[in-house]
Amino acid sequence: MSLVDKILRKVAQLPPFPVVVQRALQLVANPNSSAQDVVDVIQFDQSITADVLRLCNSAYFSLQRKVNSLREALVLIGFNQLFEIILSRQSSHLFSGPSTGYDLQRGELWRHSVASSLLSGIITKRLGRQPSPVLFTAALLHDIGKVVLSEFVKDYFEEIKKLVQEKSVSFSDAEKEVLGIDHAELGGRITEEWKFPKVIVSSVRYHHAPFSTSDPDETVRLTHLCDVVAMLSGIGGGSDGLFYHSPEEILNHYRLNEEDIERFMIQLEDQFGQVKELLNVT
Amino acid sequence: MKIIVSIADMKVTKNAEDTLITYSLGSCIGVVIYDPFAGVGGLLHFMLPDSKIDPQKAQKNPWMFADTGIPSLFKEAYKLGAEKERLEVRVMGGSQIMDGSGFFNIGKKNYMALRRIFRTNGVLIRAEDVGGSGNRTVTLEVSSGKVLVKSSGDEVREL
Repeated sequence: MSLVDKILRKVAQLPPFPVVVQRALQLVANPNSSAQDVVDVIQFDQSITADVLRLCNSAYFSLQRKVNSLREALVLIGFNQLFEIILSRQSSHLFSGPSTGYDLQRGELWRHSVASSLLSGIITKRLGRQPSPVLFTAALLHDIGKVVLSEFVKDYFEEIKKLVQEKSVSFSDAEKEVLGIDHAELGGRITEEWKFPKVIVSSVRYHHAPFSTSDPDETVRLTHLCDVVAMLSGIGGGSDGLFYHSPEEILNHYRLNEEDIERFMIQLEDQFGQVKELLNVT
Repeated sequence: MKIIVSIADMKVTKNAEDTLITYSLGSCIGVVIYDPFAGVGGLLHFMLPDSKIDPQKAQKNPWMFADTGIPSLFKEAYKLGAEKERLEVRVMGGSQIMDGSGFFNIGKKNYMALRRIFRTNGVLIRAEDVGGSGNRTVTLEVSSGKVLVKSSGDEVREL
């Protein structure tokens, strides 16, 4: 069996993505569905509902009255925040283990994921766009491929490192050269397996090469930008460091400058402190 | 005791049993100062070059920026008995995305800001490990003054 086959077989061993959330994601990506449709799907899952209600009634939200149902939660905290909480809470266990190949302690990859997802909100706001649950999801899950690839990166680390340090190859290109597949492509396969909406699959797959896909959806480019700013800030940074490319066009494309990037980092630091407890981030 | 210095954070100590550590410096910079005579050590992890971008934030958290964080680090160390002439200063971090196209070069700007502040104040750097694209974890053992750096995937080395 080839190494790539071995890696792909490991995908099957990942814990399944909660079906209810999967279904909710498909609705979220569909412009014809409403927030109510999404809530109608989720409310049949008792453990998710109980978790959301417990959080809504916690000190974090300090709401004026007790929230007894998802419909009430929707009204009180709004769809975007409700969706973000559900997705984050249901994804954290996937990322929580150590990723030794990337030299990441337990919880570090999750920190990086949460930082990227927070940046999705910060950046869309600066660009004057509506908050996008689809972008939030892509940003949160962009490194899911690392969860599976980590053990292989560990076994072949010296070869990967050599390419990166001596030949100035980016970390993901080196993964591809040594292992036959990189963590972004693998993440694309995983999200495909989970039947995620196409745009999320492309955003995960091309998060290190945002201009090499013909997908016109901005989510791909924005996911890349969220990842880069999270990497710069150092939150959950591992052995792959900043050994990645970021095309110059990305800033021109959004008419952003360096100061904008600095402001994103300041806001990230603020928000990260606030959500720590809510999202099991240590 | 192991004392963790977070992002945009600073700690000083004169307890010989302490170890100051900061994880994963990306484009951020870690500044370690140590006075072997007074046994005082300090570690600053700043994120951005200039507080002018958000003065309010700097008031709340001076350690976020080079121009407010560095003076604060030195002042706090002086309070514990450190003296400027004796301070050993080491600088780590300031990494960049590979292209170095001038975009996303916050790491470089951080380093330039630090150099400017040190030059104005006559502070010399004893050793540094800056630039490139690696993430760095930095440790100061207060008992010995030893500074250890671990860069992306490399072994720990003394600086």
